Amino acid sequence: MGVRRALRSDHAVGWALAFPAVFLITVFGLVPIVWSFVLSFQKTNLIAPNPPFVGLANYRALAKDPVFRLSVVHSLIYTALFVPLSVGGALALAMALNRKIHGIRLYRTAVFVPVVASTIATAIMFLVLFDKNFGLANWALEKVGLGPFGFFESVDGALYSIVAMTVWGWLGFDVIIYLAALQGVPQELIEAAAIDGAGRWSLFRNVTLPLLGPATLFLVVWSTINALQLFDEVYFLTRGGPLRATYVVVYYLFDLAFQRGIAGYAAAIAYVLFLAILALTIVQLWVGKKVVYYSS
Amino acid sequence: MRRSLFVLTVVVAMVGAACTGGGNQGATPTGPVELVMWMGYTPPPPVSQSLEYISLKKLVGEFTKTHPDIRITVRYTNNDNSLIKLKPALQGNKQPDITYQYGTNIAQLAGTPKVVDLTDRINSDASFDWNDFWPGERTAATAGGKVLGVPALVDNLAVVYNKDLFAHAGLPEPTAEWTWDDLVNAAIKLTDPAKKQWGLAFPADGSETTVWEYEAMLWEAGGDILNADNTKALFNSPAGVTALTPLQRMAQANALLLDFNPDAGKSENLFNSGNIGMIITGPWDLAAFPKANYGVQIMPSFDDPTNHQTIAGPDNWVIFDNGPTRVNAAWEFVKWFTAPEQVVRNSMATGDLPTRASVEKLPAFQGFDEKYPGVGTFVSNLQNVVKARPTITAYPDVSAALGQAVVKVLLGKADPKTALDQAAEEANGILAVPT
Repeated sequence: MGVRRALRSDHAVGWALAFPAVFLITVFGLVPIVWSFVLSFQKTNLIAPNPPFVGLANYRALAKDPVFRLSVVHSLIYTALFVPLSVGGALALAMALNRKIHGIRLYRTAVFVPVVASTIATAIMFLVLFDKNFGLANWALEKVGLGPFGFFESVDGALYSIVAMTVWGWLGFDVIIYLAALQGVPQELIEAAAIDGAGRWSLFRNVTLPLLGPATLFLVVWSTINALQLFDEVYFLTRGGPLRATYVVVYYLFDLAFQRGIAGYAAAIAYVLFLAILALTIVQLWVGKKVVYYSS
Repeated sequence: MRRSLFVLTVVVAMVGAACTGGGNQGATPTGPVELVMWMGYTPPPPVSQSLEYISLKKLVGEFTKTHPDIRITVRYTNNDNSLIKLKPALQGNKQPDITYQYGTNIAQLAGTPKVVDLTDRINSDASFDWNDFWPGERTAATAGGKVLGVPALVDNLAVVYNKDLFAHAGLPEPTAEWTWDDLVNAAIKLTDPAKKQWGLAFPADGSETTVWEYEAMLWEAGGDILNADNTKALFNSPAGVTALTPLQRMAQANALLLDFNPDAGKSENLFNSGNIGMIITGPWDLAAFPKANYGVQIMPSFDDPTNHQTIAGPDNWVIFDNGPTRVNAAWEFVKWFTAPEQVVRNSMATGDLPTRASVEKLPAFQGFDEKYPGVGTFVSNLQNVVKARPTITAYPDVSAALGQAVVKVLLGKADPKTALDQAAEEANGILAVPT
């Protein structure tokens, strides 16, 4: 086969088209993944050369680290609240927005705006809104005889305040996914069920909800992965405080690797988190396969 | 979330450094030596009117005019991130020649052979006059007996108070002889929840910002952070408890505005708007108080009325090795830039305290007090900088433990003794790990 023919073949074109993506994923994805795996067996601060290999010491240290345990608990509480609230809330909102009423485009845009706003802008807004002494939230609560609450400044409330803020911030994304899925629900099925005498609740429960199964599965898996990787909001709003009340796994990892120079141990945490997310995703997909109805 | 972008940025930096590393030769035999310098207090114009950046650029321009064989590229790199950014740069052998580094970074930096040991150069050059720098600066530039940096900036903590609020509460303004009891009583009197007014703002995020304010108090009470060979925590001594008690008293009286996110500028804004009576801070903050009629007083004392110690946050210019030609050129610049004639011009242009003691006596320094009201107290307060934080790699961990203890007391979750004992136990565990 001549060079010319090889170049003209579909293979060459395919590779040429795929090259930029493959290159970027390799350099920015695969290399760091392998590198941090190596780091997790070293004692390194990323400054001193030739860091010594310490075997599994970093992984063993995890079991005895109370701050790591605390961070895991906080990450799990956050995920357990964030996923059902954002996915469930989005379903309700999407149902409400899936109607032909006047100004519906405006409502849909309004719901999506928080997703487009940058995390930092959102965070600054909530910082002002939830301020203990000057915030609008406490002003309103005071009118009904409650508060003032510390929100981000209180040991008991900071994590839940971050849940509230991130649910608000991500709801719009989930709503868009659900709206798209709702457009795909065949009208004839709804009509057929209605003729058979199904009420509104029954229609939702037995027709719409099952058809939204794939979208729900996607959102649950995606939100869980995101929730377990919570970082930006914590870094900006609370720095893990007050009194480590919002230390979550990725914040702790960042603190160790980049602020305190314990990068090997931090890489071990990153790998444990990776395996945990992988395992959880496999379970979710496996359960999803059993319960989700695929119409095709 | 949106973490992916953050991770991507870090990864891009790391890989970028790795890909381009290695080719780090400086000058070709004929051309000038090319140096890269990282600095960054506040962003350069047009983002912010950074006096430090403008002054530095001006002096660099002057230096390169008289040294045509050296060229310096100044890159804005936020000082908060300069250690973080240095890590990938070192991994890729793409280190800048001169970087601005916080004093607390020096112990970590000592771990790389690429940092240039300046001890011999400093000792062999009498004209450099190392002892002209303040003792606290020299300690913070030294790790493991080696001088690894040249002081770039020095500041210290004092109490800035709102004169109008003091007058309104019928309180006399603080004098240089005041005590912590005076401060606590004033803070309680200045507090008025109905007016949303607090006696004192205090950082409560448990970071180094919290810890260093407490450390100044600890030294004033006669205590110390660690023992002489940095193997054991001493902050849970009776002096440590004495130092933490005023904070506990004010917290219990709700006289403190606890700032859980001190970087965001909330305390400064509230002080400026007249909602806060006192704030413990450094000269860099004065520009944030254009509306407040403020005064500056040195730290109050405990039992020993002469002990008004404060803490300095001296930062350094640190040189990295990119071959002897570039190291020599970098040293040439740093030496010139930190000489008294340049220090005085930099101070006059920025309001930064002079890093050298001799500068205060220079004719060019006269008029500093008028140009920067209130900064004069910070200048004379440099004499109260006696001790420095330990320059050991475990310090960030010790500080984290201590920070938790202070915040526990501020939040009323523990009494000073219990909180400090717990933190000391944690710190001793960290210090027992060989490095």
